[in-house]
Amino acid sequence: AADKIRLIPQDFLAELCEQIMQHLNHKIPGINTAELCQRIQTSGVDINIGDLAKIANTLSFLFSTAARNNLSTEELVTTLGSGVSTLPKHAVQVIRHVWNEQGKAIAVSEDAGNMATVGQFVDMKWKLGVAMSSDTCRSLKYPYVTVTLKVADPSGQITDKSFEMTIPQFKNFFRQFKEMASVLETV
Amino acid sequence: MAALRDGDFGALQILLKAPSKDAVRQLCQECFSSPPAALGPLAQRACPGLAVSAQEAEQLVSALHNLTRHVVYRGFNRAEDILGLFPESFHQNLKNLLTKIILENVSTWRNEAQASQISLPRLVDLDWRVDIKTSSDSIARMAVPTCLLQLKIQEDAALCGNNPVVSALTVELSKETLDTMLEGLGRIRDQLSAVANK
Repeated sequence: AADKIRLIPQDFLAELCEQIMQHLNHKIPGINTAELCQRIQTSGVDINIGDLAKIANTLSFLFSTAARNNLSTEELVTTLGSGVSTLPKHAVQVIRHVWNEQGKAIAVSEDAGNMATVGQFVDMKWKLGVAMSSDTCRSLKYPYVTVTLKVADPSGQITDKSFEMTIPQFKNFFRQFKEMASVLETV
Repeated sequence: MAALRDGDFGALQILLKAPSKDAVRQLCQECFSSPPAALGPLAQRACPGLAVSAQEAEQLVSALHNLTRHVVYRGFNRAEDILGLFPESFHQNLKNLLTKIILENVSTWRNEAQASQISLPRLVDLDWRVDIKTSSDSIARMAVPTCLLQLKIQEDAALCGNNPVVSALTVELSKETLDTMLEGLGRIRDQLSAVANK
């Protein structure tokens, strides 16, 4: 991961660190690794989402450990220097700067929402469509619902999961959620 | 996409050698459901029952596949439409039998076609549970209700053939996020009603 980090331009690295800090501070539900990766790739840098995810994980761990141990900026930089492989200078600069600005503000105590061992639901996008025709049926008029769930995995990274439902399935889906909500009310 | 070819109706008359009407019915169903790649093996299995050569079996199975799929594609559900496909010279009784069998099956076949057409991954199951978080290593006492939702999602059936891949997505929702979800779902329901009333 340390080698790949040298590929990331400074301003993108700063943005990634910003998102990580905001996530650790519960200001945002997750880190938009996929979206950021796409923008980095568009700028001409050859990095894949897996590598970026590993880097995000490492940085997240670094910042949260530093927060728990109440490290000052100097202590953090020293720790980085004595780490396994040397980070490029521009990366150290970014990390130092971000920590200096926001390190103290990270709330050390966790709230109930932070003990995720499963993905956290972030958002839902939907589409109602009608399939008109296909290679198997010339005239279909088949309605369906497409849903994209945005989920933040335990490390905070956001992934999308898309799937389709028939209308009866959707009605059942809706009914289940209403039941869940009413149980939540009474509990 | 199944289009009827010239030799198909000739090949269909091989069915006159079939032992019974039920055998014809069974073969129609198998030929519709079989993907093109599996027609060869199907022909081999049908061969002995029909007492025809391997080549005739292949031509027959292929013709029957094309005919049944063509009817479903065109959405025919009346006898006249199906009868109209056959040439004048075609054996009358066989034509009537095939039309009858196809009419019996066309709705089921249409559903089958819709279920296996290309799509995004499909939701196959939904399980949920409501928990209360009572304590953790960082907070001694609390009472936070939370929902655990497990969605079972099947990848595109067309890509997986007979071994569909089902993945499970486990998601946690708080009261707030559940409300967001419900709001979105409510809007879909409203849209559905609006579309249904048009």
